[in-house]
Amino acid sequence: MDILIVEDARDQRMMLAVVLKKQGHRVFEASDGYEALNILESHPNIRIVISDWMMPNMDGIALCEAIRKSHIGCYVYFMLLTGKSDRQAVVEGINRGADDFINKPIDFDELSARLNAGIRIIELKAALENKIDTIEKDLASAAETQSRLLSEPAKIQHVDFNWYFKPSRFLGGDMFGYQALDGETLSFYQLDVAGHGIPSALFSFSLNNILRENGSGSLVKESFNDPPFYRVKSPDEVLVSLNEQFQAKPEAMLYFTIAYGVINSRTGSVTISQAGHPSPLWLKSHSKTVEKISSGGVPIGMMPGMTYENVTIQLQPGDRLFLYSDGVTECENSTGDMFGEERLESLLGNTFDNSIEAIISRVDQSIHSWKGADVFEDDVNFLVLEWQP
Amino acid sequence: MPFESKSEAGYTIISIDETRLDASISESFRVYLFDQIENGSSNMMVIDLSLVRFMDSSGLGALVATLKKMGGEGSLKLAAAQPAVLDLFNLTSMDKLFTILPTVTEAIEEK
Repeated sequence: MDILIVEDARDQRMMLAVVLKKQGHRVFEASDGYEALNILESHPNIRIVISDWMMPNMDGIALCEAIRKSHIGCYVYFMLLTGKSDRQAVVEGINRGADDFINKPIDFDELSARLNAGIRIIELKAALENKIDTIEKDLASAAETQSRLLSEPAKIQHVDFNWYFKPSRFLGGDMFGYQALDGETLSFYQLDVAGHGIPSALFSFSLNNILRENGSGSLVKESFNDPPFYRVKSPDEVLVSLNEQFQAKPEAMLYFTIAYGVINSRTGSVTISQAGHPSPLWLKSHSKTVEKISSGGVPIGMMPGMTYENVTIQLQPGDRLFLYSDGVTECENSTGDMFGEERLESLLGNTFDNSIEAIISRVDQSIHSWKGADVFEDDVNFLVLEWQP
Repeated sequence: MPFESKSEAGYTIISIDETRLDASISESFRVYLFDQIENGSSNMMVIDLSLVRFMDSSGLGALVATLKKMGGEGSLKLAAAQPAVLDLFNLTSMDKLFTILPTVTEAIEEK
């Protein structure tokens, strides 16, 4: 262990150094607090400081406080040498950041035992930091994987898609996607797995995969051997299939809400089905009004045997759809008020002259200024599409 | 623990002494409800939601988990939900899964 001795009395310092070196430690020496800080700065491996209390220039307590305030990366275990054995001094020392005390004159057996106690704590802390580091790296790499799964903003067959995604902490359970199912039919969805973190994120990854059409038949498109060889499944059928496939266990309620739709890019006809998800908003370009596309539906995974409802609407050129998860409307400001549906709808009601990109940045700014911070308790995710034949 | 139970007319009435049924207490609420099923004398339950002003997906999860755990036996009714909680039940069509009544008394009397 690398140990720094801080003691103004040269003979005492040297004696202590000899003893510690004999015990196999690497020893550094300083004669006051300032010198000690310089040595710590240039030797980041020093984990233990044994410091005298009374010293000229900067005393032991001031040194301890300086170390606690400094940017030194690792925890430094601070032991104070003191002739003051009174309780008051010990309390003051601990309150100001010291870890342990050794009375002068030094009993070397006691010093060695106390050092071992300190080393145990340092090693425990190092082991913990190591594990946390591994977990954080894994989380960061999962977050990286998640961001690669997200669809790029795109224009597919007269339909423009764009979105905003801000996961809570590292990882979120929100997911969205859009794709062409054939020459004139596109599917799109936005979903929200209950909870956060690894289990929810992994679940959302697999949902992203299962809702993807790969050409050989899937949950969203049925294949046949005879012409026309396929059938695009209606949104309610897709939700029923998902619900049969992903029943949550009572002990771990991993369920999700979703809005799933298909749009005919030639005619502008849209059919949407939802399972416990916030109602998608229809931004009507001619009347400049915002309309909710409401239909009920039990979240996917809660109960087997549920049925879902299709709602079909006819878009006009320039109409937009706004799909979002409850992280948008349940975002709370500093006094605990939620952003809410009304605020969202009235904000969107003023975006008819904006591009899709501008809508996204306006909603983003609004939520951020509502929250007053860049950290969110829930994922904030929304998807905007525009039909422009 | 912010949960309490008492017996009344063959029902176990469970009340929540918190204004938010969210991720911070939903797991302990679920465990509490599971204990009621496993150790309780009655599998007829009414959950009094009168104090809950906000419920999130984890709270909903705890209630549905309990319903699943009961596996069709007994009954689980909800009572006295506040408007924001009712909104969540509406959005998620929970009325398809639960009987929701305005008061605990009505929940007990409902056949």
